[in-house]
Amino acid sequence: MDVSLFVFVSLAMFGIGIIGVLINRNALIFFLSIELLLNAGNLLFVAFAREWENQTGLIWVFFVLIIAAAEAAVGIAIFINQFRTKQVVDVDQYDVLRG
Amino acid sequence: MLPHATTAQWILGLILVLSSLGVILVRKPVHASLSFLLTLLTLAALYLQLSAEFIAVIQILVYAGAILVIFMFVIVLFQDAHQKIEEEQPKSSKILLSIAGIAFALALAFLAKQLIGLVSISEELPADFGTVQAIGKSLYIDFFFPFEAIVMVFLVAIVGALYIGKKNDGTLMGDM
Repeated sequence: MDVSLFVFVSLAMFGIGIIGVLINRNALIFFLSIELLLNAGNLLFVAFAREWENQTGLIWVFFVLIIAAAEAAVGIAIFINQFRTKQVVDVDQYDVLRG
Repeated sequence: MLPHATTAQWILGLILVLSSLGVILVRKPVHASLSFLLTLLTLAALYLQLSAEFIAVIQILVYAGAILVIFMFVIVLFQDAHQKIEEEQPKSSKILLSIAGIAFALALAFLAKQLIGLVSISEELPADFGTVQAIGKSLYIDFFFPFEAIVMVFLVAIVGALYIGKKNDGTLMGDM
């Protein structure tokens, strides 16, 4: 058993997440794609923590989980705010900060 | 040359990639969320394969229990808006964006090819690897300051979410 399968899967997941961020216009699927990116990083952390028998990687997974929860909370709040003011869920039309 | 892994790990990896594809390719947000749930459960199983039991449990509790439920609530609340989005044409070229994304994925695949044949890991582990006791010990002793710092980050995120979510007249949610 080696960890290269996990590295492969993690990279594939990261690529899929990037594609999802690029091609999706629905804000909710956009957020889900960002969660995929965070989870790909987590899988890599756990795989290398296992390979080097070092638990520091697991602690960082814990921190990434907290950041993911915070990101989801703030993202959903922005989503609700934009939907209330503009009645859209399309990320192309979220342009108040575009200038 | 293929990576050495058990059949279960190959199957789990395949399910993980397919369900991630499902998240970004299906049209309805509720199907995307369910596909993401499958991704999370498969990830937890992979963490178990890597003997990180505590992380697997936390993954299911935090993601499937908290984050995904929030997503589901929002999908239920804003059903009409999601139907509207499929009728309008996107402003940006979807083909060009897809090409960019696929090129990025290919670059990552090339990187992964370089990584093959990593040193095999030993089968025996320290007895307390990945248990609640061991992680708790290093979280509250070695990583105490980052832990407190991230608690502050989370607090600020909660307050910020409440502030963004409130209406102009000061009520929270109000009469939606």
